[in-house]
Amino acid sequence: MFSNGSKRILLRCLMWTLAIVVAFLILFPLWWIFVSSITPSGELFSKPIKYWPVNPTLESYSYLIENVGLLEKSRDTIIIVGLSITIGMILSVMAAFSFARFKNKGLSLAVAFLLGSMLIPDVVTARPLYDFLRQVHLFDTYTGLIILYISGIIPFTILILQNFLSDIPVSIEESASIDGCGFLQSMFYVTLPLLRPAIATVCIVNFITCLNNFFTPLFYSNGISVLSTAITQLPLRDNMYAVPWDLVSSMGWIIILPIIIFVGIFQRQIMEGIMAGGVKG
Amino acid sequence: MYENKKYLTIAWILVLPALLIRVFTTIYPIIETFRISLYDVKLLRGINEFVGFQNYLNIFQDSKMITSINFTAIFVVGSMIGHIVLGIALALILNMKFAGQKVLRTIVLLPWAMPMVVIAMASKWAFNNEYGLVNDFIRWFNPSFKLDWLIHATTASNAVIAVDLWKDLPFFAILILAGLQFVSSDMYEAAKIDGAGAIRSFFTITLPLISKNILVLSIFFTMWRITSFDVVYAMTSGGPGESTALIAYRITTEAFTNLNTGYASSIAVVLFLVMALLSALSMRAAKRVDY
Repeated sequence: MFSNGSKRILLRCLMWTLAIVVAFLILFPLWWIFVSSITPSGELFSKPIKYWPVNPTLESYSYLIENVGLLEKSRDTIIIVGLSITIGMILSVMAAFSFARFKNKGLSLAVAFLLGSMLIPDVVTARPLYDFLRQVHLFDTYTGLIILYISGIIPFTILILQNFLSDIPVSIEESASIDGCGFLQSMFYVTLPLLRPAIATVCIVNFITCLNNFFTPLFYSNGISVLSTAITQLPLRDNMYAVPWDLVSSMGWIIILPIIIFVGIFQRQIMEGIMAGGVKG
Repeated sequence: MYENKKYLTIAWILVLPALLIRVFTTIYPIIETFRISLYDVKLLRGINEFVGFQNYLNIFQDSKMITSINFTAIFVVGSMIGHIVLGIALALILNMKFAGQKVLRTIVLLPWAMPMVVIAMASKWAFNNEYGLVNDFIRWFNPSFKLDWLIHATTASNAVIAVDLWKDLPFFAILILAGLQFVSSDMYEAAKIDGAGAIRSFFTITLPLISKNILVLSIFFTMWRITSFDVVYAMTSGGPGESTALIAYRITTEAFTNLNTGYASSIAVVLFLVMALLSALSMRAAKRVDY
């Protein structure tokens, strides 16, 4: 058979082959979207596909900026996602702190409800929620959207933070109170700094969750359109196919590129965040 | 230190905002859904009358609904089999110790981090017969290949499942990988000394140890699949015909397009009850399986 050395080389080769196949299956479609986005729209109808841009152009991108309002939509997305993450985090830290530190029947019930409500699917609540938002004039408003985005991230955030808080001993706050700290002071200056890594991790995961939220902006807004819904509402070009692929690919790439950079930077934290939720989940 | 009664007020004040938001966005609407499901509401014709459980009876006589239920079942089962089999394989690949490990893990995170709509919109074009990526790829090996995926019911279903797998399988694999970290390497050493090969130790050590983890994950992934919406909305719009209309898509069509809210609500209630039942059953099953 094989000697030990050649066996090891064979194993290396196998590992790299598998890794390259996986990487190819994920990256190649993304590359295709990118190349399509800078290919002149006429050349998209070519067989076989050219995977290297021959006449690169940014015409689709400038079309998106001029006619689709790409910049306004990006701004709206950033505002909504940013505020949702921030406010959602503040509310969740407060609640998680309470759940981790105070025990009584009512509070346990509240935790059970908050976590259990994760199982309620969006579609089940969609129509009444839509009517309700219209009644209270929150339909198609920043406030309304932000409330719904926050609602979406609250259970997961509380779950993770509460686990983290349980590992921080109460004695730290006790000694702070002996030193004369009030309740709020000890929460802000003693406990919160210890929670910082957890908060960072959860924020990163929440950022992705909010950015990818499609259901909420689709059904609860009209005029305000974030990037994820905008890609489904691109103007049809006069070709025989139902997909304005030149615009979809460039819009898609605008959404994908920041995500690729973001994942590259925060790979470690994202892994931790996912696993913290996953192992407990 | 927090046993003092005065802290109880503080505790509730801290919880209240989060609680109120969740109550108004989930509890209130779900109660409304139950209520509306007992009415015949047709907004277009101005009808709004109490009909008891009539809407529920209609579900099982509605051929569109039966198509939806069938496709949802195929979608969930097909996708979950793929998730489990390929997910374990991918988790093992991610667990390999080699120089590219970190880069590979980062790449695998990408599909999870992207919005399903973008993937689904791209897939609509990717599965195009003439100019799509998928057929172009197949033509590298079989130059005369021709198939318009999204025009035929069966191939469209397969395409939807494939896209779902591309997007979520990596996430599933990463979660299995988390479980793999807890399998200590001593066991493999011991197995090696006892003469077990790699395949044998996978089936006798790895698989039993991570099976509970996989079971719990599968429960959640199954739930998410039962309520999938984005993929079908952006990729096939339920077509061709109604053949890829998942239940969630059917509900929103009835509720927002046909404005048949009573009927839509009754489907939503059934979906909710199925989810609740499934989660209760599977939680119990997960507790019983213990290694």
